[in-house]
Amino acid sequence: MSLKKFSELFGDLDSINSTNNKIEVLKNYFLSNDPIDNSWAIYLLTGKSNKRFISGRYLKNLFSQIYEYPQWLIDTCYLKVGDSAEVISLLLKNKTNSRKKKLSNISLNELLSETIPALSKLNEEEKNLEIKNIWETLPEDNHLVFNKILTGTFRVGVSIGLITKSISKLFNIEQEIISHRLMGDFKPSIDSYEFLINKNINLQELNSKPFPFLLANTIEDKIFKNSINDFQFEWKYDGIRMQLIKRSGNVSLWTRGQELVNESFPELVEKMSHIKDDFVLDGELLVWNFKEQIAFDFSLLQKRINRKSPTRSIQIKYPIIFIAYDLLEINGRDIREIKLENRRIELEKYFSKWQIKTENNISDIFKICDLIFPKDWPDALTYKEKSRENNTEGLIIKKKTSIYSSGRKKGIWWKYKVDPMQLDAVLIYAKGGSGRRAGLYTDYSFALWKDKELIKFASAYSGLTNIEIKELDKWIRKNTIEKFGPVRSLKPEMVFEISFEKIQISKRHKSGIAVRFPRITKWRKDKKINDADSLENAYELIKKYHEKYHEK
Amino acid sequence: MRTKKEYLIRYKDGNLYCELADIWIDPSKPVKKALITHAHFDHFTFGCEEYISTKETAILLKERVGDNIKIKTFEYGEEFKINGINISFHPSGHILGSSQIRFIFAEEKWLISGDFKLQKDQTCKQYEIVKTDYLISECTFGLPIFKWDESNKIANDISKWITNSPEKTSLLFCYSLGKAQRLLNEISQTNFKGNIYSHGSIHKMNNSYRKLGIDIKDTIKIENKKKIDELKGSLILLPPSLSKGSYLKNFKNIQTAFASGWMSIRALRKRSGYDKGFAISDHADWDGILEVVKKSEAKNVFFHHGDSEALSKYLLEKESINVLLFSK
Repeated sequence: MSLKKFSELFGDLDSINSTNNKIEVLKNYFLSNDPIDNSWAIYLLTGKSNKRFISGRYLKNLFSQIYEYPQWLIDTCYLKVGDSAEVISLLLKNKTNSRKKKLSNISLNELLSETIPALSKLNEEEKNLEIKNIWETLPEDNHLVFNKILTGTFRVGVSIGLITKSISKLFNIEQEIISHRLMGDFKPSIDSYEFLINKNINLQELNSKPFPFLLANTIEDKIFKNSINDFQFEWKYDGIRMQLIKRSGNVSLWTRGQELVNESFPELVEKMSHIKDDFVLDGELLVWNFKEQIAFDFSLLQKRINRKSPTRSIQIKYPIIFIAYDLLEINGRDIREIKLENRRIELEKYFSKWQIKTENNISDIFKICDLIFPKDWPDALTYKEKSRENNTEGLIIKKKTSIYSSGRKKGIWWKYKVDPMQLDAVLIYAKGGSGRRAGLYTDYSFALWKDKELIKFASAYSGLTNIEIKELDKWIRKNTIEKFGPVRSLKPEMVFEISFEKIQISKRHKSGIAVRFPRITKWRKDKKINDADSLENAYELIKKYHEKYHEK
Repeated sequence: MRTKKEYLIRYKDGNLYCELADIWIDPSKPVKKALITHAHFDHFTFGCEEYISTKETAILLKERVGDNIKIKTFEYGEEFKINGINISFHPSGHILGSSQIRFIFAEEKWLISGDFKLQKDQTCKQYEIVKTDYLISECTFGLPIFKWDESNKIANDISKWITNSPEKTSLLFCYSLGKAQRLLNEISQTNFKGNIYSHGSIHKMNNSYRKLGIDIKDTIKIENKKKIDELKGSLILLPPSLSKGSYLKNFKNIQTAFASGWMSIRALRKRSGYDKGFAISDHADWDGILEVVKKSEAKNVFFHHGDSEALSKYLLEKESINVLLFSK
């Protein structure tokens, strides 16, 4: 019933690999703690709380001030540890030998609903004193979790699925129900916990909540053995996956990250409220090029996401559309259990009329997802290859007979992504990694040739195996030209194949180009730096995938 | 003759070397005369004409590599002379037989710390503070994030780790010489009363320790085809080299852990691939290194084995102690 117990839970979950054991540990925790702390634990473990009360930098400065520790020494330690909260908890060891451990039994609820929120009401001096006081009165092994909550970096290796499974097993309630109850804005309280574990299932209560999303798996070869007619094919759009809900007349827009985003897209909320039916639609929000009938680039959507109450001119400049993939509920009837092909019929039955251009229509903001009809699998491949031309990422392939379950269920939905674009580039900078990669050089910058100069064009940190990372780390330490803080400039010698999803002109970068999702796909030990690609090769790629979907 | 600028001990070809005595300390390649601080293999190489060490180190080395080496031995504190230099071994607290080495020449004192720790360890002699003018210290864990817990606390954590999963076989990976015996000694004083098995390489070192008068709990030598049930709830000590590869297939339903100072950092724990990490080390932590530097009263300090940049800067800023760099 305390932060102490929760710290132990964190330690256990952090050091157990087996899923079954994690479930056991979670069940035990929920059994032995009171509802309010349990609701906070769920809140933290499902990543619903990422509020940053103070920054990692602030935490480090504060420690440096209080204990007269040189800042550079803390920074050096950080390079090894890769997490500000952890560095400070390690440095705090043996520093806080206050005899009065009055906080040793502070409850999670008290800490999270009183102690920490109270910090933001204090002025800087008071706040610093209070944090020092908490450090000195908390038992040492609670420092890590406290610091992590404070800096909004609490994360542990359990999925939401695992949490729901534990609760489901413990209280013998279907996992689907638990995960549905957890959707939306779950606020920690005795009530919310009791609602979560209530054996009486009242669907009315779930009214304000979106359904758990069903996600697609990466395609597997075995799918090609099936008849093409068993599947429904859609374009894979690169927007924000969303559920558009209208219940009892109220429209709500929920992202897959379970955020309510009505305020960012008021024109959609307004138009959808004209529809008389109640419904839950699964779909994608995009900024849409209505003339060409294709999506604009994701970068334009980004201009809308974080802007609440956008002005009329913003709405016109970045026109949005909701593309409906699926109908999950209609007029209070949950139809997730019926087959996809039948849900599609329902979707068209209720919504086709709204996209016909008549009075009151909503075709300027709503569209049912077009289907694609490949003749056979090679034809599907041809479609996939074409997807870059309409600014989609490939295909989504859905089994026609599938029901709408939740999570990344195997064998129902697949994503068939277009092959990435690639360039061979030269490694020129390396930076120490953070988190799990702390103490190793794992953040790399790559360059392309421009005449006889190497110009940085992308940074990437994923794609190498652990063995390759270690090997490269050794090489980096031996081939450093200069150190700038955590960054090392390197002897240009190593060539890597860099893959990415998109490439576009960018004035912000020295190279003049920007790429999306760059990653390392091969260590080209067979290539010399003169074999690496040039910026001109990059511009050719841009030309090839013309830019009609970019901002004019 | 030695000019002013030449140090009595310096780095040569990546090793510590005293030219005046033509003697090397823990050399990594065959030389004529080698002083050996302790019996770990990264401090020993075959093919030297003559080795000099403590009695315990000599016995442990011969157990490990055979009798075919020529070792001259001295007691702790016993001085011997080579080319006018007085040399002596002093306990370094790292493992059984481990030593610091002191050189005295023309009233100038040099001390090579060897691998050392200050923490209590019932399987070897406690670190002895030795005063010196020049100190050459290891700094494997030379950052303030490294602070060790008492070893009995770690042993209790290990005991809990095993007893909390009675249906599992607990594999604890640790260095076979030194760490394994220290852990056995500590674990035998905890609540864990189940069977303890050890790998052949560890079993052998346990016996050597016992012969040298150290009290080490009896363990069962692990055979490859033990029945699985028999191993349930028991502890097996294995060398880290066996953690990767097919050896683990000999067991079913296991949990693994690694006992090392590096395990105090979450990222390293995660990356190590073990289920659990226990932060216990036979090297000094940050406070330990600082204490030795101060208590040795050395005016000049050199560091090796580790990243010494931060430690050197800290000593200069906070303690005004000058840290010198070897030209390698």
